[in-house]
Amino acid sequence: MSLIRKLIKPFMIVFPHIFRESETVAYPTERPVFPERFRGRHKFYFDRCISCNTCARVCPCNSIELVEVVGREGKYPQIDYQTCSLCGYCVEFCPKNALEFTEFVEFAEYNRSNLVYSPERLTVVPDLKEVLPMLKRRTEVYHTETAMKYRKVKDV
Amino acid sequence: MSEPEIVPDIMRISWGPQHPMSGQTRILLDLDGEKVHRIIADLGFTHRGIEKILENRTYLQGIVPIERMVMADTPNIGLCYIKAIEEAMGVEVPERANWIRSLVCEMARINSHLYAFGLQAESTGYFPAVFLWTTVDRAWILQLFAELTGARWSLNFFLPGGVYKDLPEGFENKIIEGVNYLRRRFQKYWDAMVENYTFEMRCNDVAILKPEDAIRLGATGPVLRGSGVAIDIRKDEPYAAYGDLDFEVITEDACDSMARTKVRFREIVQALNMMEQIAKEIPDGPVRTRVPFFARPKAGEYLSRVETSRGELGVHLFTDGGMNPYRVKINSPTLRNMYVFERLAELDEILMADIPVVINSIDPWYLDSDR
Amino acid sequence: MNPVLSVWNIIATYVFLPTDLIIQWVSDIFNMTMDILLHLPQYAMEFLTVNAKPILQITILPGLAWVIVYAIIAVWFERKFLARAMLRVGPYYCGGKAGWLQLIADFMKLFFKEIIIPRDVNWLFFLAMPVLLPSVPALAVILIPFDTHWVLWDVGGIGLPIFFAIAGIAPLIPIFTGWASKNKYTFIGAWRVAYMYISAEIPMVICGAAVAIMTGSFNLVEIVKAQQNMWFFVPQFIGFVVFFLGVFIQSERTPFDIPGAETEIVLGWRTEYSGVLYGFVMFTEYVMLQAWALLFLTLYMGGYNGPVLFGAATASHIFWMVLKFVTLVTLVILCRCVFPRLRMDQMLKLGWYYLTPLAILNLIVTLALKLMGVF
Repeated sequence: MSLIRKLIKPFMIVFPHIFRESETVAYPTERPVFPERFRGRHKFYFDRCISCNTCARVCPCNSIELVEVVGREGKYPQIDYQTCSLCGYCVEFCPKNALEFTEFVEFAEYNRSNLVYSPERLTVVPDLKEVLPMLKRRTEVYHTETAMKYRKVKDV
Repeated sequence: MSEPEIVPDIMRISWGPQHPMSGQTRILLDLDGEKVHRIIADLGFTHRGIEKILENRTYLQGIVPIERMVMADTPNIGLCYIKAIEEAMGVEVPERANWIRSLVCEMARINSHLYAFGLQAESTGYFPAVFLWTTVDRAWILQLFAELTGARWSLNFFLPGGVYKDLPEGFENKIIEGVNYLRRRFQKYWDAMVENYTFEMRCNDVAILKPEDAIRLGATGPVLRGSGVAIDIRKDEPYAAYGDLDFEVITEDACDSMARTKVRFREIVQALNMMEQIAKEIPDGPVRTRVPFFARPKAGEYLSRVETSRGELGVHLFTDGGMNPYRVKINSPTLRNMYVFERLAELDEILMADIPVVINSIDPWYLDSDR
Repeated sequence: MNPVLSVWNIIATYVFLPTDLIIQWVSDIFNMTMDILLHLPQYAMEFLTVNAKPILQITILPGLAWVIVYAIIAVWFERKFLARAMLRVGPYYCGGKAGWLQLIADFMKLFFKEIIIPRDVNWLFFLAMPVLLPSVPALAVILIPFDTHWVLWDVGGIGLPIFFAIAGIAPLIPIFTGWASKNKYTFIGAWRVAYMYISAEIPMVICGAAVAIMTGSFNLVEIVKAQQNMWFFVPQFIGFVVFFLGVFIQSERTPFDIPGAETEIVLGWRTEYSGVLYGFVMFTEYVMLQAWALLFLTLYMGGYNGPVLFGAATASHIFWMVLKFVTLVTLVILCRCVFPRLRMDQMLKLGWYYLTPLAILNLIVTLALKLMGVF
């Protein structure tokens, strides 16, 4: 009768999940490969910037301010990641494509003032292995007919 | 706030902000034993002043804060504001952009409904299996969002005049593959959870909201459609590509919490069908009409309405010819549904153990009601 | 008097006799020591099985070590098992991929946390109840037979009613606790406990009575012995179902963890506890499950009987008991993933409208079978 079916059928559905692989990405040892349009930290190119101030005017969170840099002429953008919402307007509307996105999202710092990235710091994107010393492999997601799985793309 | 007096023999419990299941709100329950005598909702814990923020941003800049009103369902809200701006600026949106907008909105609807479904499961004490399965399945949708737009939750993909970028290579095939995968998963959800005897015991005949009461009190979204009233803005005032897509308004007649959960469930299935139709039949063409960033639309009053996953969201935009809007009034679905929730204690007998089930069948998102 | 004879007497008394005695004494000691040393293993075995058996039972099985080790392993197992059903991994980093060191870490953490006592609380009850909470069900565990001569407390043959008597104290303690911590959530949890336990205990006692009638005695060892040919769940199927539901209800597991419903009343009667008192309260949940599950196995699933091949028992009785117990606990933990929680009025309806009449029906069927001479 339907009562017994409604009591037994949930068991039959939940029980096989115990034997499936887990869907957890074991973070510091594995890290997924993000797609190419992913909006992570910015990367800045000094020689393309013309100091037009568009990125600062366009930013909805008022996170960009143009500052002077030692050893170069003109003013260059400094991004404050405490308020940046990674919306993408500065990348989109820069006339010379001087800012672009990377897949780097490890922003954690011990001091708030370290979250304000000066233009020189924006130029350099550190290697993942320096920031995550426990990293062993990069994975990507794919799905089969019944499950979503993570497979290894490369070892680090 | 000035709360009503406590009547003798009634115990007042604060389903407060420090509670495992309350979310970011405080609801005062007047209990008489186990029966709920009265519900008083004390909203406003997450007020951020979004309407005021929008007055100090230009139109394109304003899309970023307004999308963060409901994090699970960001494209729908962005679309509402953008429709109002496009009407003000007089911009024409190309056909392909409309189809891509519908695609992204439907994916966000699946995201949000899955989250609501998982919370409904968690609120009945069924924490382990279903809530985390929904998280796993949503991970696929979020992955698709990351490939298409670059972000997982707050997409910022729509602009006045179209969408940001075109679909990447091979995206239509990924959508069709994923749709088949999700359909197979949903059959499992239906069998394991909706047809579960204990879940039916918890959700059937709980908080019945009759159709005339629903219309009188101003319910919206699945709350209204779960009481049998067929009102859906995607059919009544079609926007984006909904005029060309082939779907129907889903209603249920039982008017209880189970009906609202089933409405959400069936909307997920229907959204999958719509996604498949879009992936197969999307027309070619440009995706964006360039609009200057610091545009000044002409002065006037513009209204736009959109069906988000929680109900109808309305944006009433007042422009005065400057770069910033003069006033943006947002009419949020959760606020209206919370009003219905307060009156439910008078309409039907609710026990204290039913409160999590009822709240999650209404599916509030408190950032939406507090703006 | 012969002087030579008297001198000889003196020498014999004071020289030869003591020397003889000393030599005999030394050789006796030597013989005894050699005797003990050579028979030491045999004496040790006798001591362990006859004289020290109660000490072994009290500390290891079914006593302190059994209860504590089971609770610790059950916590780890529940976390890992539920995580697999939820497609997660559970404790992962602490202690290799299995995460067994996580338990010890959590256990130690509980000792270091602050015990917060709210101001207006009735501090005597508040601090005393968590100590009683696991002790009472652990007291009930000592009645269960693990082998024909391995019962810690035989009680002169009335083990079954004594178990129910001890289990009758068990609901009072959460009620005191819920009232003593002056909090509206704990108050609701306390009277939910009262309703729930009373409505579940009556059908279970009636089912226990039916089993006792079928066996003809209250002694738990006799009940297990009477199941050597057929386990009691076959003739008393209705009682089996009622008692099985009762195990869930009495140990407050989903779908009946209504007094401790996290989504509604934070943690029910356990809300105000922190630190090591919280550890005791969490420990209780597993001890109660253990007590009732062991009784269930003894009454309906054959106790320590294992399959008998060619006229001899296959493995030790203790092994079969532990195996059955582990299977039952796995099933109970799996039920947590599958079913949502019931509401209070639905649970009361289940207890009074369905379980009690079914238990009485079971009793009638048993009496009929007994009078007709089938069993």
